[in-house]
Amino acid sequence: MNAISLVARREITVRSRTKGYRYGLVVTAILVAVLAALPKLLGGGSDYTVGLVGPQADRLQAALSAQAAHGDDLTIKITRFADEAAARRAVANDDVEVAVVDNATVVSKTVVSQTLSAILDTAHRMVATEENLTSAGLDPAKVGAAQQVRPMTELTLNGSGEDATIRRVIAMTIVVILFMLLIQICTWVAMGVVEEKGSRIVEILLTSVRPWQLLAGKTIGLGVLGLSQLIVIAVVGLAAAQLTGAVPQLPDGTYGVVATTIVWFLLGYAFYAAMFAAIASLVSRQEDLSGVLTPATMLLMASYLVGFVAAQSPDGPLTHALSIIPPFSAMVMPVRAAVVAVPLWETALAMGLMLLAAVAILFVGGRIYQRAVLRTGARVRWREAFGSAS
Amino acid sequence: MLEVDGLKKRYGDKVALDGVSLTVRPGEMYGFVGANGAGKTTTMRIVMGVLASDGGEVRWKGAPAGFETRRRFGYMPEERGLYAKMRVGEQVEYFGRLGGMDAPAARRSADALIERLGLTDRRGDEVAGLSLGNQQRVQLAVALIHEPELLVLDEPFSGLDPIAVDALAGVLAERTAAGVAVVFSSHQLDLVERLCDAVGIIKDGRMIAGGTVAELRARESRKRLRIVVTGAEPGWADRLPGEIVAKNDRPPQGDPAGPDGDQRYDEVILRPSDDQEALLLAARAGRVQHFGWQEPSLAEIFREVVA
Ligand SMILES: Nc1ncnc2c1ncn2[C@@H]1O[C@H](COP(=O)(O)OP(=O)(O)O)[C@@H](O)[C@H]1O
Ligand SMILES: [Mg+2]
Repeated sequence: MNAISLVARREITVRSRTKGYRYGLVVTAILVAVLAALPKLLGGGSDYTVGLVGPQADRLQAALSAQAAHGDDLTIKITRFADEAAARRAVANDDVEVAVVDNATVVSKTVVSQTLSAILDTAHRMVATEENLTSAGLDPAKVGAAQQVRPMTELTLNGSGEDATIRRVIAMTIVVILFMLLIQICTWVAMGVVEEKGSRIVEILLTSVRPWQLLAGKTIGLGVLGLSQLIVIAVVGLAAAQLTGAVPQLPDGTYGVVATTIVWFLLGYAFYAAMFAAIASLVSRQEDLSGVLTPATMLLMASYLVGFVAAQSPDGPLTHALSIIPPFSAMVMPVRAAVVAVPLWETALAMGLMLLAAVAILFVGGRIYQRAVLRTGARVRWREAFGSAS
Repeated sequence: MLEVDGLKKRYGDKVALDGVSLTVRPGEMYGFVGANGAGKTTTMRIVMGVLASDGGEVRWKGAPAGFETRRRFGYMPEERGLYAKMRVGEQVEYFGRLGGMDAPAARRSADALIERLGLTDRRGDEVAGLSLGNQQRVQLAVALIHEPELLVLDEPFSGLDPIAVDALAGVLAERTAAGVAVVFSSHQLDLVERLCDAVGIIKDGRMIAGGTVAELRARESRKRLRIVVTGAEPGWADRLPGEIVAKNDRPPQGDPAGPDGDQRYDEVILRPSDDQEALLLAARAGRVQHFGWQEPSLAEIFREVVA
């Protein structure tokens, strides 16, 4: 087996054994599962239980059922009670959320949610109006017919409103996950480089492995860990969405978005890992690491913030430009693609440019690493790292 | 055979190596001695290819040593380094694989070495949890695992207790017996004298002496006379021809200078300009108890040539 895969396998074995890695994986999986179930919990289906008491109960029930029939994913379960006392007991025992007594009083344990309040109010107005009109001498049949109003159709310019919200949630999730994974794995790369340089084990390694092989093996190994983490997140997320029944509400193309996000992760990782490794090779102590890494971390952080902005305004000129320009594209493009339809050529252009940038930084970073990793003692200056090997 | 030929290295204005040459034959134990900062580590790092030289050549079996050749060398750097979070066995195996062994061979070799170095019940422990002495053994195992033909060990004995020194010396002797060339640096000269077939002395980046211990000794041996005289007048020794290296007028405990124990005792180490003249003078001065060339220890040779 060649040196690169030996090095990569060591990284995977040793790193995946750490508690940090295992707990991290479990925690992110849970977080993602919760996030994936969110559309169902928040935006989508609502189930209400309503108790009815009094002579108008029949007509109220009809009015409520009519609303339930029109609403998307709206179910109203109705229970009839003989008297107010029974209804109150049912509310107190959480058998029903609210009880409407004599079409005049709403009994509830705490404040009634706005949606339910609106539903009850509409039903109440319908029944009360009907009653008033009938008692004013109008034909009950005609009143009934007049009450039949077609609900307004919603026309949202960016797909349906709910869809847009979900797309945005997905986009935000992508930014957060990409950022967290990139910063985590790239920091591992940097710490690994310093571990080897600081402990001087690199001096033994480099008698049997070439510097670029060592760097490639380390980056590939940790990259595989990052990728598997991303895949676990994607699978758990989509499975949770399926199980909670949120899938019908996932916008079209979500699977495609997840797939391209993986590609973007790989491109972004190649870029930042090479950068972090080269910078880390300048110092010999873990304590000095965060200091030298600051510019690189800032760049990643900036991408993250831009990605967040992009999730809010996916059509803005800034978002548009940064979704093409590396290295910002690695975070902005998947976000933009999650929210709006991106022309294929733009995706291809952005990926091509990012790939070029990654190759360039791999080349430069590899050279810096090669020069600096065997230099002991004080921090290696940039000029020396770029200059000719001594 | 390892041939180091005219190595040069400078750090900025500082010349670290100024034409260092040495030869280590298969089955030979070569002691590389010199004061701190003399250039031992620099030489060994260039031999191992982890440092580029400014001139000169390293040859193995007559051909310039390249990357593939050096993979078959074993190395213990001056600053020890191991993966703290890796287990002993898996770490040793890992370096075996990097050195070109397949998995079963690396495993077998690691098992044998770990057993030989007395680390068997530590095999599954993380290196970070081992005592320093045991870490040093793992370091040695890492250098030996891929059965190298040349061992380059930078100060392998430093920090070891006498028992560990003997254990390491034993392991190295096994290797040389199997035909491995071993070169190690040290400033424990008694140890070098005891273990090494050949010695090289480096000072300020230049080799100032080299050869087998016997050769060095022969070169230095007919230089000092040890003269013991009893019953002489004080001040007789000042007339001896040559330079007096050391003087002692107290007889060694339990070794009376002669039948007349209360007589004056004189021991002189002399670098004579005329040995026969010295003998005559000593005989005239008193009763000559001892007159002979002194066999120098490596430490004395070292002081002699480095001074
Ligand atoms: N990285 C370095 N930068 C500058 N000078 C160095 C460096 N490494 C070694 N030297 C100098 O080179 C000389 C030889 O050092 P070294 O080979 O470590 O000696 P030894 O191992 O015999 O003690 C010393 O004077 C040392 O100060
Ligand atoms: Mg040294």
